[in-house]
Amino acid sequence: MPRHIFRLILVILVCVVVGYSAKRFFTLNSFYEYGHYRGDSVADIASDKPKFKGVGYCASCHAKQIAEWSNGVHNSSDIGKIVKCEVCHGAGGARDDRGPFEASATGADHPKNLKMVVPTDTRKLCTFCHERLTGRPLQQRQIVVADHAGTQQCIVCHNPHSPKLNLTPVEAAAQAGDPIVGKAKAAACVGCHGAEGVSRNLPGPSLAGQNATYFAEALKAYGAGGRNNPMMSPAAQAINAEDASHLAAYFSGLKCEAAPASDAQAASAGQAIASKCTACHGADGRASNGAWPNLAGQSKDYLINAIKAYKGGARNNGMMAGIVKDLSDSDAESVATYYASATCK
Amino acid sequence: MEDKEKLEGQQKGRREFLSCLGSALACSAAAAAAGAVTTGAVAATAAEAAATEVPPNPAIPGYDWTQHRWAFGVDATKCIGCLRCVEACKKENNVPLDAHHFRTWVERYVTLEGEETARIDSQADPVNIAASGSESEYRFADRYRDAKVEQAFFVPKLCNHCTHPACVQVCPTGATYKTEDGVVVIDHTYCIGCQYCVQACPYGARYFNEETGVTDKCTWCYHRITKGLQPACVEVCPVGARIFGDRNDKQSVISQFIQNNRVSVLRPETGNAPNVFYVGIDKDVS
Repeated sequence: MPRHIFRLILVILVCVVVGYSAKRFFTLNSFYEYGHYRGDSVADIASDKPKFKGVGYCASCHAKQIAEWSNGVHNSSDIGKIVKCEVCHGAGGARDDRGPFEASATGADHPKNLKMVVPTDTRKLCTFCHERLTGRPLQQRQIVVADHAGTQQCIVCHNPHSPKLNLTPVEAAAQAGDPIVGKAKAAACVGCHGAEGVSRNLPGPSLAGQNATYFAEALKAYGAGGRNNPMMSPAAQAINAEDASHLAAYFSGLKCEAAPASDAQAASAGQAIASKCTACHGADGRASNGAWPNLAGQSKDYLINAIKAYKGGARNNGMMAGIVKDLSDSDAESVATYYASATCK
Repeated sequence: MEDKEKLEGQQKGRREFLSCLGSALACSAAAAAAGAVTTGAVAATAAEAAATEVPPNPAIPGYDWTQHRWAFGVDATKCIGCLRCVEACKKENNVPLDAHHFRTWVERYVTLEGEETARIDSQADPVNIAASGSESEYRFADRYRDAKVEQAFFVPKLCNHCTHPACVQVCPTGATYKTEDGVVVIDHTYCIGCQYCVQACPYGARYFNEETGVTDKCTWCYHRITKGLQPACVEVCPVGARIFGDRNDKQSVISQFIQNNRVSVLRPETGNAPNVFYVGIDKDVS
């Protein structure tokens, strides 16, 4: 073999040996384990910590909320619509330390380290899914926000865990009453609520023209202890459900009467505040839904006391407590003045 | 010998060709030297042999990757464009919270009366970012309220986890690859940030993270599915528009979804053979 050929082969050989050794040295052991990639990286990627924990994780502590949710429309598994806890409350698992992107809330999961989001701005949250939008399928419940509830928060009327308003059973009970029987039973009421159900400065509220459903429900609440009043509670306990429906039918059919405004300035201030109330109690104080009371023509003192009772917790109602909590005493007086003088039907 | 190998190599992929060439070189070197290099050549052929055998399982507790064939379904007729999936994905996978980096996103296709083609916007559109008020929260603006709309629908998009992924084909370092169970993932420690894969993907499913200097993409939440959970976007979808499951299980939701619907895939002409199956999209969507 000529010397120059031998040298060439030698150089090639040295290159091959050096090249191959370098490749062996620099390539990780697991690189060709499954293919042209680092085999250990599969387990690495799979070892990340899941952040979304699922409903089961929440259910271990929050049984009450889960019970509300599981029977509500936000858990309609039959049509494949399930709004799980973490859709609104955020992920229950904290970030792992390895994520180089955002360091916030690393470490232990909720409840140890991570606080869950309790959404306060439900007008923003609920409308992610329920705002009417071009392209949104018709089977999705959608609203034009401004037309639906003005500037009110959604949770004023809707329980987010079970948002559908379900009032039918109460409605059915109230319809069964007979106003003529009710009139006979109402003799005991006139002392406080006035003849023909119009209070005119008597201690009780006006009952004339009140929604029958609300009326029956209120009587039931006094009887069962949900509402408490030294005069009304014992009286309500003596009235059975059937009589309550007769009374409801009688009083709801009576003609109500508004008192002239005692203070025009307070009434107009009250009208401005009353924009908070219109979604449920109607634009003019006449509720569109029978489950909520009419306010137009109601006794002023009674309205002020009711607002105070909601604020102080003596009357327990999640919706009303949220609404009245920001009303000052003078606000309460103004709004009561307005409704007391508002024209009723 | 090299020429002959080359002819055969043209029928195969670039990678097979290169590996054939490599072993041919090693073999010829070994034959010539028949000495010191013999052990190296034997090791090389042994490695080649090991690669073609059925591989063992990676060290993932309680998971056998040979038993699964994952696939994804999107029912665009159900999607309400609420973008909960997009936000959940970002939280789950540490995706930067801005309007430029997404592992999954949602597009809206709106055809107005008298127009031939659809107008397309996604949550990253400036108008929609303005409606949400933040780059880390997403909401579709009601921008077509007063327009005469002929047709409108939402389409969630994500990595298609193709059977023949172009991105894997072009990766120069073996940083991106397809797992045995059908998921295309990225090994961030091997990625050199060349972004060739970002260019190669016909679906725009990959993004480059300037902060970390590596490419990132949807993994179908590989860390979740190997633990028996659903991907985060499927977990939070309130209307069941996203479907995920194992095609090896004929009773799984995804098998039933493919069996019971006329499904289509995006851009079938590219030959990537996607594994995200769509229902309720039309010709405008690609």
